[in-house]
Amino acid sequence: MFIENVKLSVSAMVSSKMRTLLSLLGIVIGVGAVVAILNLGVSATTSISESIASGGTNIISIFPQQIPEANDFFTPTLCQTLVNKVAGVEQVLPSMQDTVAVRYHQYRTSSTVIGTDTSYFDLQKLSFAEGKAFTDTDSFGFRQVVILGDTLSHKLFPYGEAVGKTVFLQRSQGSPLAFTVGGVLNNKEQGILSDFNSSAYIPFTTFNGKLASIPQVSLYTIIVKDGFNTITVSNQITAFMDSVVGSDAYNSFSPATLVKMASKVTGTLSLFLAAIAAISLLVGGIGIMNIMLVSVTERTKEIGIRKALGATPATIRGQFLIEAVSLTLFGGILGVGFGSLITIAVTTLAQWKFTLSVSSVLVALGFSMFVGIFFGWYPALNASRLDPIDALNYE
Amino acid sequence: MHSPFPVILLSHVRRYYLVGEYCVKALDDVSLAIEKGSFTAIMGPSGSGKSTLMNLIGCLDTPTTGHIMIDGKATKGMKDTELASLRNKKVGFIFQQFNLLGKMNALKNVETPLMYAGYSPKMRKEMAVQALEKVGLVDRMYHRPNELSGGQKQRVAIARALVGNPSILLADEPTGALDTHTGAQIMELFQQLNSEGRTVVFVTHDQALGFQCQRQIHLRDGKIVEEA
Repeated sequence: MFIENVKLSVSAMVSSKMRTLLSLLGIVIGVGAVVAILNLGVSATTSISESIASGGTNIISIFPQQIPEANDFFTPTLCQTLVNKVAGVEQVLPSMQDTVAVRYHQYRTSSTVIGTDTSYFDLQKLSFAEGKAFTDTDSFGFRQVVILGDTLSHKLFPYGEAVGKTVFLQRSQGSPLAFTVGGVLNNKEQGILSDFNSSAYIPFTTFNGKLASIPQVSLYTIIVKDGFNTITVSNQITAFMDSVVGSDAYNSFSPATLVKMASKVTGTLSLFLAAIAAISLLVGGIGIMNIMLVSVTERTKEIGIRKALGATPATIRGQFLIEAVSLTLFGGILGVGFGSLITIAVTTLAQWKFTLSVSSVLVALGFSMFVGIFFGWYPALNASRLDPIDALNYE
Repeated sequence: MHSPFPVILLSHVRRYYLVGEYCVKALDDVSLAIEKGSFTAIMGPSGSGKSTLMNLIGCLDTPTTGHIMIDGKATKGMKDTELASLRNKKVGFIFQQFNLLGKMNALKNVETPLMYAGYSPKMRKEMAVQALEKVGLVDRMYHRPNELSGGQKQRVAIARALVGNPSILLADEPTGALDTHTGAQIMELFQQLNSEGRTVVFVTHDQALGFQCQRQIHLRDGKIVEEA
């Protein structure tokens, strides 16, 4: 009986193709929009996450705030303390940061100078256009070596060949110090928190011992061990720091938490948009109800004949319900195709990764079936309640 | 084959309709017994109540008062679903306008009552082919109604009425839409079916047709006025 009803509804759809298509349009557009939005949301999240994570998701950055009470806490010794106290911390790099005037002959500019460790360059995935990074020997020897960012190097050495030259770095209340250029970095896309291209990099020890007088660390770069979850480790670190200096004394940041936040935001946004798109499914459902009511009226005589032949009210109801569900399910399948095409088009244009999640397809098809049952119920009930004598005499 | 047990039994049946504020007595105190294997014509002018009587016998309707027994089953107070099942098993309808389902071929039309009775597709086809054989239309079984002549359509309709082996064949002016010659052939088919032991009830206003039946029941204004 079920199979017969499905066959019947297919033949009813085929016999009035134009009407079927028009009445399905609402469902097709609705399902298409829901599928496209859900999948584009996933694609956008993936793409945003990937661009955030390009800096490495195993890094946590801690920025101390300029609070007098915390000055004694944010010293280079905190690095070892963190490695000891928090499981999953591989290494902590202290960086100091200040603004300096930079001069090479007549070329002058101001720049951020960062005192850091030699492993900083690998960690931030910085590569060298000329020369090389300062070494541990440079650090231990408090040597006055500087690495220049791409933009900074162009300002000071418009004609290139910076390596080996001597530049002068001067703090606002200090005397100029001579530094030898050890290397120049390749241009690097600006990071979320730092402009690598216009900065100068010197050994941490040199910064601490020669340029500045107070060992005030401005950034701790924490590397998380393989196999540890960055977010978990980050939470442990903030818990430890909060218990010692309080949460106002620093800001912490990690690409991993940002990725989490970004996917939460895009996820919520795409759900919201999908909910709006679902409204068009409602409109589509009303279209289905309309066409089913017309169909029941048109086929009153058929219903009368079927009842005379022994069809029970439940059978008639089932027949029309199956017809409505077949209609919306067919619309749903067309809609999934339509939505996939939109997704392919947009992901191709935006150069995102194409994804078509099974769950979004199932949700869309499930929803369209639900629309069929919901909006097909009333017409089907009408059909089943027809008086067989009146229906037989209907012309 | 003939048993004294009446396959249709009506006792003091009344069927009243309320039309506006008027009560229309479509059937007024009708008592009637139709025996198994008989060939009965219910006759009368239009408005005499014969359609109402047919609807009651065909379990499409239930009486206002009185009792109806179809093959031993009382229809009074039955729910729609029970009535549908009774129609399916006990009554084979044949209509003046054939009332075939236009989108299905002859075979599928004949199979329809069996589908509602819950037979398997294989059984359905077997039984439907048999019924079509009986009315001489096996070679037309894959044709749709619009590809068949009036006489052929009525034969398909008769096959559909026969197929579930019902207790009653209930025909409403079955020759009314056919020419005289074809009508006579259909009439012959009914007589043949009756001679094989089937109970046939004819509803007609055609005197000539009525007198070909064993028994005539004349209705007027909702009452039986004459029996022969």
